[in-house]
Amino acid sequence: MSATTAVYGIVARDLSRAFRQKSRLLGGLARPFMWLLFVGTGFNAIATVDGVESYHAFVYPGVLVMATLFGAMLTAISTVYDREFGMLRLMLASPTGVSAVLAGRAIAAMAIGILQGGLVLIFVPMVMSVTFAQLLAGVAALILGAAVCSVLGLLVAAPLRSVENFAGVINLVLFPLLFLSGALYPTDRLPLALRGVARINPVTYAVDLTRGALGQPTEFEAARSVVVLVATMVLAFALTMVVFDPEQRFVLRRQRP
Amino acid sequence: MSSPAIEAVGLGRDYGPTRALDALDLDVEAGALVGLLGPNGAGKTTTMLLLATLLRPSRGTAHVFGQDVMGARTAVRRRLGLVFQEASIDGLLTVQENLLFAARLSGLGGAQARRAVSEALDVADLASRASQPARQLSTGWRRLVDLVRAMLHRPDLLILDEPTVGLDPEHRERAWRLLDEQRRERGTTVLFSTHYLPEADPCDRVVLLANGRGVGCDTPAALKATVGDEVLEIEGADADRVLTALRASAHVRLTIKTQGGYRVGISGSYDGPASITGAGSGLVRFVRRPATLDDVYFARTQRGQLTPSAGAQVEVSA
Repeated sequence: MSATTAVYGIVARDLSRAFRQKSRLLGGLARPFMWLLFVGTGFNAIATVDGVESYHAFVYPGVLVMATLFGAMLTAISTVYDREFGMLRLMLASPTGVSAVLAGRAIAAMAIGILQGGLVLIFVPMVMSVTFAQLLAGVAALILGAAVCSVLGLLVAAPLRSVENFAGVINLVLFPLLFLSGALYPTDRLPLALRGVARINPVTYAVDLTRGALGQPTEFEAARSVVVLVATMVLAFALTMVVFDPEQRFVLRRQRP
Repeated sequence: MSSPAIEAVGLGRDYGPTRALDALDLDVEAGALVGLLGPNGAGKTTTMLLLATLLRPSRGTAHVFGQDVMGARTAVRRRLGLVFQEASIDGLLTVQENLLFAARLSGLGGAQARRAVSEALDVADLASRASQPARQLSTGWRRLVDLVRAMLHRPDLLILDEPTVGLDPEHRERAWRLLDEQRRERGTTVLFSTHYLPEADPCDRVVLLANGRGVGCDTPAALKATVGDEVLEIEGADADRVLTALRASAHVRLTIKTQGGYRVGISGSYDGPASITGAGSGLVRFVRRPATLDDVYFARTQRGQLTPSAGAQVEVSA
């Protein structure tokens, strides 16, 4: 089927590009370990969190999600790059359509997110003791989190026309998503307004789901987090479809009787 | 009877308050080679993007092989091969990977895609460069990769936006050889834009655009005939006097003011030498030559004045 072939082509290309940009890939892989080492160790001496054995153990699921978030969202930068340098037009002119192009990009970004998060997950026995079932649940949470982050990255990248713009906007988006997610500190003691923002931040639910999967206390039921994350993914994908190419949006509207 | 390759009626596009393309009427029969000429900003790229389904028209309609470019985008795209002004080549991938990516985008999978890529590499003399990262290629080779990329899925219509821009004569010759083979073997229709006007001489039809409007559409020979049987290039202190003398003694169909004088299109017989010698000898340049598409281009799109009685105001209409 041509759409499947096109999606496969886009994924293969994006992964080839990601693995050939070695410094970027290594930087992405090293980032979470630097956070675990420097931030985790620093706060381990002064911070305690109820129900968790150490700050290191508390921050570990957050850093895992952070690795996934940065990996998946930053991979979406290739969409802006392609738009700026003409490759995107080639894809949009193919018979497959916008949805296949976005699906391909999302799958590739998700794969990078899983890779970066997975590398952190491998080291879980060094930080906390988990059962095999908890590890499997952690992998499932990682996959769902990567899927959501990849689509969020596409949504952020969709209206942007230059790589410089992306660099600015992604920092404005990534850091609030991370800092107001409960990844680095519990959000229940934040001021009301910030706590409200944390509640509508999808990354909060990814962190909470991961925390629960690895056997730590959670703020929400796992089912609720899964529903929020899936809904966010579907909504973000639909919004991306609309924002991505105004010309296509018009066509979609016109084609309906 | 089969549908024309392109059929546009009143096709136009605005970008906000700017009218990029006014209302173009265009018929291109299947298998034709059609050149789209005009200055920068004339509406050439907009026309191509509209026909390629990448822009929605602000007005008018367009059909490609009978399919509406708005209502049947997928069907239209299956029959199109596109080359944009900037090469759509990923520098991080090898030549072969670039082509494989494009083949998959077109819906060719597995062995079919690999076969198409292998054939394309051979046809374009790119086999020895197949494993080379595209960023290491010269501009000419990158453009050739882009061209064969557009032909991988054997499209019926190639839309090429300045396909030979920046190419040296050797690569330009290679590019046209590829296109000629496609046309000869597959009857592919080709619509291309260029600023290198001699490239449009072999066209079945030339469409001239200026300021978003069609200002000429005919065979190259017919368009050249509208500026006269021959063109005189006169420069020097006596250029004005020679022009006046020519106007008195000949049927002047075109006058283009150049930096040092005039380019004058003449029809029928005239008393050439007498006009020149009678008007004075202060000319530093006097050339008699056949009319070219350059003359037509200047006449229709820029500085030229075509004598109204010559009936040269050609509308691009069906």
